[in-house]
Amino acid sequence: MNTTHKFLLTLMVFFLASCTSVSSDRTNDATAISATASGAYSDTGVTSNNVLYFAYDKSDINSEGRTKIRTLARLINENNLSVRVEGHCDERGTREYNLALGEMRAKTVTELLIINGVSSEKISTVSYGEEKPVSSGSNERSWSQNRRALVKTF
Amino acid sequence: MLKNILITTTIFFIAVIHSQLRIEIKGGIEDPITLAVVPLEWNIELTQRDYVHRIIKSDLESFGEFKVLSPENMLSLPTNQEEVFYKDWRMLGVDYLVIGSISSTEIEDEIVADYIIFDVIRERILHKGNVIGPPKTLRKIGHKISDKIYSRIQGIPGIFSTKIAYIDKPSAEDQNYNLRISDVDGYDSLSLFSSPQPLMSPSWSPDRENIAYVSFEEGTSRIFLQKLTTAERRGLKLEEGINSSPNWSPNGDKISAVLSKSGNPDIFTYDLNLDEWTQVTKHFGIDTEPDWSPNSKKILFTSNRSGSPQIYEVNIRSNRIKRLTFEGTYNARGRYLPNGKGIVFVHRRNGIFHIATQNLKTGKIRILTDTFLDESPTVSPNGNVVIYATKDGDKDTLAGITIDGKTKFIMLSIKGEAREPAWSPLID
Repeated sequence: MNTTHKFLLTLMVFFLASCTSVSSDRTNDATAISATASGAYSDTGVTSNNVLYFAYDKSDINSEGRTKIRTLARLINENNLSVRVEGHCDERGTREYNLALGEMRAKTVTELLIINGVSSEKISTVSYGEEKPVSSGSNERSWSQNRRALVKTF
Repeated sequence: MLKNILITTTIFFIAVIHSQLRIEIKGGIEDPITLAVVPLEWNIELTQRDYVHRIIKSDLESFGEFKVLSPENMLSLPTNQEEVFYKDWRMLGVDYLVIGSISSTEIEDEIVADYIIFDVIRERILHKGNVIGPPKTLRKIGHKISDKIYSRIQGIPGIFSTKIAYIDKPSAEDQNYNLRISDVDGYDSLSLFSSPQPLMSPSWSPDRENIAYVSFEEGTSRIFLQKLTTAERRGLKLEEGINSSPNWSPNGDKISAVLSKSGNPDIFTYDLNLDEWTQVTKHFGIDTEPDWSPNSKKILFTSNRSGSPQIYEVNIRSNRIKRLTFEGTYNARGRYLPNGKGIVFVHRRNGIFHIATQNLKTGKIRILTDTFLDESPTVSPNGNVVIYATKDGDKDTLAGITIDGKTKFIMLSIKGEAREPAWSPLID
């Protein structure tokens, strides 16, 4: 048998094999494992009246809010309190973009507290974006309550 | 002929109530492929006899491309090749026929599903295959066969063995946020991580072994990686401010993400071997929502540097930035299509948030969905389907649409109030 014959034969065997080949797949019952947040942060601190509200897609504070922050700053300094400022958004727009918007709101409040004499070392900020709404409806009534910054004092 | 009559009499909008997905076929698929899946011959002691062919039927009908004939409409129920008469199936308008059997193997707690796919028109065997696994993986076996049928007929991979990761928000039954994974049909849902504080932005590692996500468990946002099989968790180096929007690089060694430590949110990459952040974008506006291009060379992101959120692309090596979207005042959360030739994103028009696609060559936008608050689109690894977050009444839920916009479905079986879906890669 010469090489050409051999080659043709191999080719034929290969061709036949590929025609009759059977695919084989496997499944396994490997499952994922669950975990739980242990010792997770829990919401404490006093918020009572310390809520600032914002217009849609905005992070600036109106004069009423400014007055509120001025009063707050005095209270914080008089009682030597620590502050945590939380920024929140309504559900419209993408989640990560809202996380950024929430931070801008928290920062606006933080800057105003500093302007009113609160030491920056006493303030921490966090944005929750649209992840922690206080009202769940998809309407302006709910949205206006969710676009907020909270000043929590400790 | 029969098929044509059926199509022309099909009303403009048909709603099919399914066991797992509520499917609405918009405008009607002109010519769905007709498939017959004969109930598999059952050679083992298992109660769920007609299970596998029903899984295959619902898989293949999910996206409107296939119409699967029910057994009661069949003239015969062949279980081997000799019993197949092409003429009978042609009479029923069937394009492809699938038969098979389930048997035990020599190994304990292992079964094998043998199957044959016939091309009825050309009167030949298209494919012969088997799937081997434990009896309790019957659903997975069905999904594997669906994948093979899909890929042999459509020429692109099937996605029925893939997974969806998503975030489940607190409800009356469960006060916690949960990071869940489920099959792509919404079944076999499992919580990977549970926390009283928000969880966000799941992203799969390319080997499908890990998920990156944002957790607020420490009172601030931080990115964690979690290994699926062990639940082992690793927090990325925490920086001041926002730590969010993780997105795994295609080769798995880096994570792109958002940090606001420089005063405002910018795009960074994290080297998983060096545990180091590298800054990619630097702008006083908001830069967020990164997504790696399939070839790893670019990162898509949202920025409001022009005044409104628009989608940009940054070349990682040169740091050159290119704006991609120009239509409208809100384009965000972009994801590349697997072929890199287009993007899918959230587009606002008249106050309504739609899922849209844009061809990167022509710049042409196409709006896919018309509901009110659609967001977080994720593309199937074969590029054919987009799943996104939407509302079903007041409830957060997941829905999907084929990239051609023709078939829309709501994932009714999905557990809890689901949001932020992330489609897994193909590998099992």
